[in-house]
Amino acid sequence: MPAYFNNPDCMKKSSLLPLLLLLLASHLLSAQNPTKTTIKGLVTDTLGVELPFATVMLLNPKDTTLVNFTRSDEKGAFSFKNVRNAPYLLKISYIGYLPLQQYLNPAAEETADLGTVKMKPISTELMEVVIRTAKAPLRIHGDTIEYDASTFKVPPGSTVEDLLRRLPGIEVDADGNIRAQGKDVKRVYVDGKMFFSDDPKSATKNLGAETISKVQVYDEKSEQAKLTGVDDGKKEKAMNLEMKEEFKKGSFGKITAAVGSSDRWAARGNYNRFNTKQQLSFIGFGNNINQTGVNWEDYGEFKGQSTSGNYDNGDFGFNSNGDRYYRTGSDDGVINNFDGRGFTKNFGGGSNFNYDNKKAKFNLSYFYNQTDLQLDQFGYRQTFLPEGNFSNSDTTSQQEFRGNHSIGTRFEKDLDSNNVLIVKANARLSKNNKGYRQSQLFFDDSAEPTNRLGLDNDNDLDAWNLNSAAIFRHRFKKKGRSLALSAGYNGNQSDGIENSISINRFFEAQTFTQQIRLLNTNNNLTNQLKSSALFTEPLSKKWYWETFLNYSQVHNQVDRQATNPLFNNDRVDSLSIFYNQDTRYQRAGTSLRYSYKGLNATTGLAMQQINLAGDYARQEGRPLLTNPVDRTFNNLVPNADVSYEFANNLNLNFNYGYGITAPNLNDLQPVPNINNPAFRIEGNPNLSPERQHSLSFNVNKWNPANFSYFGVGTQYQLYDSQIVYNQTIEQIDSIGIRTTTRPDNVSGGNSFNLYSWFNFPIIKTKLTMNGGPNASFGQTPAFVNGVLNETRSNGYGGNIGLNLTPGQKLIMGLSGDLNFNDLKYSIQKEQNQRIQNHTASASIKWQFADKFFLESNFNYSFYRNDRFGFNRAVPLWNASVRRLLGKSNRLEMRLAAFDLLNRQVNISQTGTQNYVTRVISNTLSQYFMLSVSYNVRGYENKVNKNNWW
Amino acid sequence: MHTYFKKHLFLYIFLLAATGVYSQQMEGTVRYLIVHDWTKKMLAVDYISKQRLERIAYMWGNDSEWKQYANLYFSPTRTKYEDSDEQADADDQGYAWRKDAYTIQRDFETNTLHDVIQMLGKVYLVDDTLAAPDWKIMNDMKEVAGHVCMNAFRDDTLKKQKINVWFALDIPVPSGPERFGGLPGLILEVDVNDGGMLITADKIELKKLTTELDPPKKAKGKKVNEAAYEDVIRKHMLEKRKAEEPPFWGIRY
Repeated sequence: MPAYFNNPDCMKKSSLLPLLLLLLASHLLSAQNPTKTTIKGLVTDTLGVELPFATVMLLNPKDTTLVNFTRSDEKGAFSFKNVRNAPYLLKISYIGYLPLQQYLNPAAEETADLGTVKMKPISTELMEVVIRTAKAPLRIHGDTIEYDASTFKVPPGSTVEDLLRRLPGIEVDADGNIRAQGKDVKRVYVDGKMFFSDDPKSATKNLGAETISKVQVYDEKSEQAKLTGVDDGKKEKAMNLEMKEEFKKGSFGKITAAVGSSDRWAARGNYNRFNTKQQLSFIGFGNNINQTGVNWEDYGEFKGQSTSGNYDNGDFGFNSNGDRYYRTGSDDGVINNFDGRGFTKNFGGGSNFNYDNKKAKFNLSYFYNQTDLQLDQFGYRQTFLPEGNFSNSDTTSQQEFRGNHSIGTRFEKDLDSNNVLIVKANARLSKNNKGYRQSQLFFDDSAEPTNRLGLDNDNDLDAWNLNSAAIFRHRFKKKGRSLALSAGYNGNQSDGIENSISINRFFEAQTFTQQIRLLNTNNNLTNQLKSSALFTEPLSKKWYWETFLNYSQVHNQVDRQATNPLFNNDRVDSLSIFYNQDTRYQRAGTSLRYSYKGLNATTGLAMQQINLAGDYARQEGRPLLTNPVDRTFNNLVPNADVSYEFANNLNLNFNYGYGITAPNLNDLQPVPNINNPAFRIEGNPNLSPERQHSLSFNVNKWNPANFSYFGVGTQYQLYDSQIVYNQTIEQIDSIGIRTTTRPDNVSGGNSFNLYSWFNFPIIKTKLTMNGGPNASFGQTPAFVNGVLNETRSNGYGGNIGLNLTPGQKLIMGLSGDLNFNDLKYSIQKEQNQRIQNHTASASIKWQFADKFFLESNFNYSFYRNDRFGFNRAVPLWNASVRRLLGKSNRLEMRLAAFDLLNRQVNISQTGTQNYVTRVISNTLSQYFMLSVSYNVRGYENKVNKNNWW
Repeated sequence: MHTYFKKHLFLYIFLLAATGVYSQQMEGTVRYLIVHDWTKKMLAVDYISKQRLERIAYMWGNDSEWKQYANLYFSPTRTKYEDSDEQADADDQGYAWRKDAYTIQRDFETNTLHDVIQMLGKVYLVDDTLAAPDWKIMNDMKEVAGHVCMNAFRDDTLKKQKINVWFALDIPVPSGPERFGGLPGLILEVDVNDGGMLITADKIELKKLTTELDPPKKAKGKKVNEAAYEDVIRKHMLEKRKAEEPPFWGIRY
């Protein structure tokens, strides 16, 4: 009897099998097998022709693990010398022949000669099938057996159950119960998820066989082990049905309703459907708790694949900050942007659709949101003059309605591997009604009240807005050579009515009252056409040459007509204006880039021309007020950008740019705005563009081993020409103290900013510290009553925080933020002052029992200005408890308390130019709220450590 | 007719040339295209909750690929693998990242490995003898870059990766891209964690090598053996698990 016998399958056919096995076993047991053996043989084809260089492998027969391999020699002979004497699976493969598998038992002698092993050739057509389709009906990965459903044919309309009946090793009984390798299948998943019910039959009886690509059978921890987290070693058979890509569908959504004390309420819901190519989502919300939109997380689920926005801005070439791209932000009003002041009632809703088949991407979204704002605030402002000063305290009550429809679309298509086309458009229709009542009390140098100005302004504005662009990119055959072209149209039209009433009451010798009424209609129209081109030529592997052209033409039409309701709505000629204005922007530039091994350096130069033209009349069709304006500004614009990555995750970046910005429309308007007669705003049609040098330098270092990082950034800006607002402050008998601002160009303004950030672990995974000091120094020149005032604003501050994670269920944070702002006025040194805004915060997230969470944060804000003896602290304490309910944690109950101490108020202090202001606004304070949420996907039953993805 | 011929051409060539190829020394270069899919990598991280993974896939799933090229130089006795200077993604043209130090060398005569690996902010010089990985040999066959390949599979318990590879039957060099090897033929395709990292040979040149297999310029770093190298990774994996952060930042894959 040979030590080895060929494939045992052959022997099974023999009726002598049990006897043979018995004989073999006794033989093996009685014989003392050697521990090492040499296995050899000869590979030939069925005709006996030797097969040289065939791949010969010894596998572990239990799991096909590779133990040893060799090649047959020129004569087809192979041998494994001195291998462990154990059972093996011999596998031989040779191109053009069927792979051969043969079980080997331990050898009785030191050399086991297998003799001639014959391989069957396969026809090339069959080989083609074997290789091209690469479809073995089943594969084994670890303890998973995977069946390729497409290799088992079932009649159309069959269920998964019918398919399972055909799979070797799987039995399905008359009731539909499934057994795999002799064991009951306890659970059936579809794409790794439970299929609606725990009954394994619900999936197999209901799903069509044609939707399934793979059937996987594996051992799974028992339900008990899953619940307790303790592996009891018990394994149960589970089955996963993997759906074909085109049948993969999903949906998710959640809904929240909340009611609270003081009539507070909130509701929010979203629903999404998707498959591998499409995403469709709906979202809606309403509340009176100052959420004008949703949070970032809900926004991401609403926008899906189009969340990240797009880098496809069509303005090629370097801009003043040297960026190669900049992201076009989404301004669709979906995200909460409440500024902390007042009370708002909000509603919003919309839908988003994404399509992506790898070659083409399409997005269409619509969103409507509206906000009703009720704001009361108290402000104090002190203004310094070359001689003396004055102040005013303002009590304001404001009501505002904002409503926006916005619709956006973007289409990107790879025309072929070298051509890409992008078309995008965003349109917005908005309505704004604002009522503004203000009482301003003016004080002279000796803090005596001089007059009280009452303002009552109502504004209605309807506007539409369209931004659109098309971008085409072509890559040439030569690697790195490319051409990009863009064209865009932006349009904007607004119609508004301003109705303003002011009543001025003087407290001087003889008290008297002065009333002014104005009704303004504003009809504005803006049309912009623009186009850019960029050509990139690789000069070598490291050098690139870029050439770009930019063109833009903006046409503005402004029609502002003022009437006086006190005098039969007579037109007020001096405050009316009709004008057309054109801004033409042209730039041609070139730059050279070096790019190799972490060093990327670009330097370039552009010729830029801005042309401002305009004609101004009091009314359409009336003679021009002045000669038409037509001014051209030519500038050479240099740019340099260097970034370098050192070997140790240290990065440096340096940038220099010369920026030129055309003045904005309001500043050019040759007619004053006197909606507030005490603050008269004039335009200046003779303004020149702003010109500034910008320098920035950044360093940052990252240590991937412990995830610590630090960075320092600096920015310096020096203005050759800066648009500043000169003030003329005078005593007008009928008005009192009147401030007139008028924009003009000055030079010498500058600013320097330094900011830094760091993060490092003190105890790995448990305690981290982060923060960063910052400083800023700025100087703004401006004329006050003809005297040059240079305001120095020096800011110092920084933040520091500690993050403590003692265990999986508790996260705590402590942080502090300091902010000093020193203001120095060259016209009145004694008014120099320091504004302080500081905050200290503490937060906790604690899972105190299974499915129970406590979340709380405490903020202590501190505002101070010693010059005015102003010193105020605002503590804010919020806390909530929530509980998850249901087997899959789909239900959440939450009790939240906002502003437990009932102290919330909004304060802001700032100082610029020749004045400092302080505004205290009321806003939502203490309320309690109970909310119920349902989430189809279930809530996470854990405290989240990281929220950054 | 033409495509039919083309479709079958490689088979004829290999049937005819199989013997011829072996009679001469096998030397050459393989260029591999590596595609990292960060979403798919994330989906394999078992300590990030299902809800988060689903959200990541929903938001970023279609736009999270990063491509690079790498070259393998091989002879019957030695191989050397390193990153290529070539840009794989046409959109990256004109910006050059700094590459981490990474050279993987195998010597089958001395049965040793000499690797320079920069990870977690340090350079490690790994020197050891070659160990046989526990590959499971599968039944499937397919063609990669014109070579008939067999399928093998391995569960990497260290990095928690399911590694599915295809090795060429007609290039008898037990090596491959990255640190994969130990099979009877050169590995031409690697799939880690169902598409998290997909490496495919896209250009194979058989040619006499000159200096390509020479060791790189002497690298500075910490000398370790394979076990110590694995310990560094093991510790990192554990830390990231505790911090609930994805483990693949800071290490090669």
